[in-house]
Amino acid sequence: MNFNFINLQPYSNPQYFIYLMIALIPMILGLYFGKRLKIYEAIFSLVFLFLIFDGSHWQQGVNLILYLVFELLLTFAYQRYRTRKGSPNKTWIFCLAVILAILPLTAVKILTVMPVGSVPFVVGFLGISYITFKNVQVIMEIRDGAIKKIEPGTYIRFLLFFPTISSGPIDRYRRFKKDFDKAPSRDQYITDLQYAVRYLFQGFLYKFILGWFFGTYWLPKISQQALLIGNANGGLKLSWWVVAYMYCYTMYLFFDFAGYSLFAVSISYFMGIHTPMNFNKPFISKNIKDFWNRWHMTLSFWFRDYIYMRFTFFAMKKKLFKNRIRLSQVAYLLLFLIMGFWHGLTWYYIAYGLYQALAIIINDYWLRFKRKHKDKIPSNKFTKWFAIFITFQVVCFGMLIFSGFLSQLWFGWQ
Amino acid sequence: MNNKRRLWQIFGPVLCAFILLVAVFLFPWERTFSKDTIYEAANSQTNTVFKGVKLKQEAFKGEYVPFYGSSELSRMDPLHPSIIADKYNRNYRPFLLGGPGSQSLAQFIGMQGTSKELKNKKAVVIISPQWFTKQGQDPQAFDLYYSPLQTAMFLLKAKNSVADRYAAKRILDMPSVKSGVIKDGLKKVANGEKLSGWDRFLLENKVRVLTNEDNFFSTFQVRDRIEKIKKREKLLPDDYSVKALKKVADEQAEIHTNSNNLGIDNTFYRNRLPKKVLKKLKGSQKNFDYTKSPEYADFELMLTQFAKQHTNVLFVIPPINAKWMKYTGLSSKMYQESVAKMERQLTSQGFENILDLSKDGAQKYFMQDTIHLGWNGWLAMDQAVRPFMELPNRPYNYDLDNYYFSKKWQNKTGVKSINLANKNYLKDK
Repeated sequence: MNFNFINLQPYSNPQYFIYLMIALIPMILGLYFGKRLKIYEAIFSLVFLFLIFDGSHWQQGVNLILYLVFELLLTFAYQRYRTRKGSPNKTWIFCLAVILAILPLTAVKILTVMPVGSVPFVVGFLGISYITFKNVQVIMEIRDGAIKKIEPGTYIRFLLFFPTISSGPIDRYRRFKKDFDKAPSRDQYITDLQYAVRYLFQGFLYKFILGWFFGTYWLPKISQQALLIGNANGGLKLSWWVVAYMYCYTMYLFFDFAGYSLFAVSISYFMGIHTPMNFNKPFISKNIKDFWNRWHMTLSFWFRDYIYMRFTFFAMKKKLFKNRIRLSQVAYLLLFLIMGFWHGLTWYYIAYGLYQALAIIINDYWLRFKRKHKDKIPSNKFTKWFAIFITFQVVCFGMLIFSGFLSQLWFGWQ
Repeated sequence: MNNKRRLWQIFGPVLCAFILLVAVFLFPWERTFSKDTIYEAANSQTNTVFKGVKLKQEAFKGEYVPFYGSSELSRMDPLHPSIIADKYNRNYRPFLLGGPGSQSLAQFIGMQGTSKELKNKKAVVIISPQWFTKQGQDPQAFDLYYSPLQTAMFLLKAKNSVADRYAAKRILDMPSVKSGVIKDGLKKVANGEKLSGWDRFLLENKVRVLTNEDNFFSTFQVRDRIEKIKKREKLLPDDYSVKALKKVADEQAEIHTNSNNLGIDNTFYRNRLPKKVLKKLKGSQKNFDYTKSPEYADFELMLTQFAKQHTNVLFVIPPINAKWMKYTGLSSKMYQESVAKMERQLTSQGFENILDLSKDGAQKYFMQDTIHLGWNGWLAMDQAVRPFMELPNRPYNYDLDNYYFSKKWQNKTGVKSINLANKNYLKDK
């Protein structure tokens, strides 16, 4: 059989938005007249999901279905366990549930770094990380009792929420459900549309214009020069081109990913769902902690709530550390190492995690020092901008590690 | 504010932008290019120029002659064809088309937009035997030169012929063609199906949009080498004489290759062949084989295009730097075999203007580096280009043979070499 499958990867080109907007019209009209067309919405989502995972991507589609069945069984089993009368709420069962929930993602991360050709099947699917984040969050909140009951229909839609399926932003179940269970008032919805259109066009500017210039137009030229001159220089193979690469890549990454996130938020708003924003002017951060409150926010908040905080409470309860400062340092290290491993099992992602942990620990030292010597350290407009400048350099250097370009330069692979 | 007004304020600008966009893209804009722009573009080897149409069309209507080639075109020493042509005010100016990795398939697509302009005219092709590898066209390099505009033009003209089916199949092999009407069209042509009216409608609009894109942006960021050319021209004697030019070539080459004993340009030697790399390359090309390659069939596509245009073509087959050849262990016998195979393919179909330099790799200062013509090599080429360009133009008819698309020909070995000097023998063929 030789079907000519139409395959549409989300937000990949301008035509995609035309198809998407046409399909959205009934939903927009419905919401405008105060009705959420849930059945149409489900069909719409299924069709666009199908278009992501059909044709040459069908193996990924199969993986997605298998994954979903597994995760749903797990989550509902755990929910049953927790809502039984007098549930013992054992820690080991909770841990087991979390471990099982992240098992597929872990397997994918390991299998993808196996030598080419040693894994005979297609591994994972587009967006597996983000679904896993959502699922783990729900299991944790079931443990806390914050989520009493999950509705299967809403839950599946939450996991598979089409605008955010490929790379977030990572929404929270309770927040999603609140939006999903009602239709906004007309006034509110018109405001939503206003934001939706604005975000959409901001996204076009970011991803298709600025991201294109930095990523497609300049980056390959810079990379070529850096490699050429680096190889001629020998040694650490450094040149000013590497510095140029660092800034260019940082800009590319931001505009590409922020643009994508804006698309996801925009389409969510058209659907009357207030998916949280992912970026908030990250380059005016005054320190690295501030940066993580502005960069890929839904991910860093997820790590903060479900790794950093959990670990801190656990360690305090078990009295693992006497010194609170030490405790927070270990927690940071843990958070960023896990984030590094999640990005992928290569040296530069892990080095990036360590680098960020180190940066935030040093920043903490400095903040404490500053608090102690308030009277001696000046604080004015200049120091404020200087802080922003320094933070930006630290961030950009981190992105250089993250880009894997150093690996390409030194070892010839990425 | 009432709701209607708010909605209008939100969607009004979007609507206007959309209408404006469609209007701008579909409007048949015309533009002309200044002489300087064309001159700059002709010597730039910029990808947008290669992939575009309008600039080339304008240039070929004038005194420009396409020089199809690859990386050797960027070896701009004072004897480079562009510099000689400008210095001695020849009746032609080269329009350089190609760069690293622009093999026959990419060139074939790049020729689609100028078939009218090159009808009954002249062209020069510098063949690189290095194209004729087991893989043929490098897919990554193809991506740099892939022109959707000219591929769409090809589809609109395509017939159910061996050549067009083969071309469509080969383009589909490249990962650059992702989806959409071009891919669908290629599939149909490759299968020998006819394009539907709707396909043609979509393709025509695609061509219109891409033509506008080409019109607007093809002069954007063109590499400017004019100053370089003018500077090099100053090194040449005012009156053309082969002897005087040879002297300049020898002098220049001596200065520029004094860092090594392989006869390789100093900058190239320093940047591209640092010790580690050099060590690795020793004896590394022992098993290279240019005699079996899909490139032979891709090359036939170029010939088909020339035949359609009745273009009079001069083919140049360059040598390899003999010292380099020895160093890397590349087989001279294999090289000559591949050259013989190319020459057979050319002469048997009526392409008889061939300058075979393939045995001149040991001549002093003939190559600028490893595999690229330079100083004396360019001068040798000029000895053929000059008379070729001086002759009045006439349309050429060629005898094409579909055999050259076949796997059998692609993999054929042991092709006997031809004595190119013996024109009578060629006629008999």
